[in-house]
Amino acid sequence: MKTHIILLGIATALLVSCQRKAAIKSGPCCAKDEAALRAGISNDAEAGNSIYQLQGVWTDQHQKQLTLSKLKGRPQIVAMIFTHCTSVCPRIVEQMKAIRDSLPASIRKNVGGVLVSFDPQRDTPAQLSMFAAQRQLDDQWELLKGNDDQVRELSMALNVKYQKLAGGQYSHSGNIYILDKQGNIAAAVDGLSGSVHNADKVLARLVQR
Amino acid sequence: MKWLTTFFLVACFLAPQKNNGEALPGKLPHARVNSAGMAGIPAGTYHCFLRRKDQPATVKVHAFLLDVNAVTNGEFLEFVKANPGWARSKVSHLFADAGYLKQWAGDYEIGNDKIKNSPVTNVSWFAANAYAKWKGKRLPTLAEWEYAAAAAPKGMAQGARLTRIILAWYDHPNPVDLPRVRSTYQNTYGLYDMHGLIWEWVQDFNSVIIQGDSNSGGTNVSSFTCAAGSLNSANKEDYAAFMRFAFRQGLQARYTIQSLGFRCAKDY
Repeated sequence: MKTHIILLGIATALLVSCQRKAAIKSGPCCAKDEAALRAGISNDAEAGNSIYQLQGVWTDQHQKQLTLSKLKGRPQIVAMIFTHCTSVCPRIVEQMKAIRDSLPASIRKNVGGVLVSFDPQRDTPAQLSMFAAQRQLDDQWELLKGNDDQVRELSMALNVKYQKLAGGQYSHSGNIYILDKQGNIAAAVDGLSGSVHNADKVLARLVQR
Repeated sequence: MKWLTTFFLVACFLAPQKNNGEALPGKLPHARVNSAGMAGIPAGTYHCFLRRKDQPATVKVHAFLLDVNAVTNGEFLEFVKANPGWARSKVSHLFADAGYLKQWAGDYEIGNDKIKNSPVTNVSWFAANAYAKWKGKRLPTLAEWEYAAAAAPKGMAQGARLTRIILAWYDHPNPVDLPRVRSTYQNTYGLYDMHGLIWEWVQDFNSVIIQGDSNSGGTNVSSFTCAAGSLNSANKEDYAAFMRFAFRQGLQARYTIQSLGFRCAKDY
């Protein structure tokens, strides 16, 4: 009986994951939507998978308020972190820097970096600004804080998993996302692999598109 | 085998502990149902079945309101009419996959009277979340939902019978036309169909973190080493919870599934 139930559970989980291919890993699926965007079609059904459709006003490390759609126009390297994280977040940020640094200067200047905080309570603009200085993130980086709802919605759109733990820590998945100029996810990179993978090639392609 | 391990790691995340003397839902005073069709759920303690070292043994659930029944096709139609951006042909692919509202005849038409009062399914998390906001409500958290769903059916003993309802439902495929809401059982809070009709979205379903994810923020899931030990002590109700957690961990917010709907919550 026990085995039966366990197997049924696994089957359920597998069923869900088999029916739904991980949209995150692939880029080509969105080609049609991107074409529609390039053609300037604003119909909602043609807006594709751009995460810039998410509403809500964020505050950055300079106290500037912006919607995600303000990030449109150039490819972005994006991850969700919290600045009090002592273990994996610094590694994720370093890997994002490494990806940017691997790009030729002419391409790099057209690629932005975005860090979104899980922790609206402690990650004030001042804290984000200090973190940017500590991590030597230049003015091509946006560090954003929003409210709990916005953070949850963005995590859903990116398929980031997270949970607040006792003591103000967060448990979270650690992917780095490469967004195209319109905000569609073009690639996801394991933020802890310590490797650039082919993110540089993806970005070079996205910049020139 | 890796799947098995993953499965139990997920399952032990927040499964309810039933046989703990205090705050048993069945012993609480009769919950009131307000005119908006929401039941008051008294504050209580949700006992984590197993936990990581850095997590508390219990989660405090504040008093909150929860819809007595799941949102129906008829109710969701009103939302879509008022918010055409959520019509089937207009919804963004970011917010719902291709199966969105596929049981309906058209953008603003259910087309099947039999399911007007059945739970709306084939709705994504984003759609459920938008509906809740439109109603001035929100989705229940995972802890709130599990806590409220653990209450015994009215007039029945806590425990065995509820498990039987859940497992019997798990064993049978859903009919093509889902039965109407309030067609299974009512629990001691006044809530209908918490088990036995559909699966339900929760606000933070993506807080279930499994080993397959690349990391878990420094507090690695491998500290779940006690999970294997739980196999001997876990009772059948825990298995029913395992299945819900397994289901949730496979979801993404844009997915739509024939047996997955939702109900709304509100702060007290």
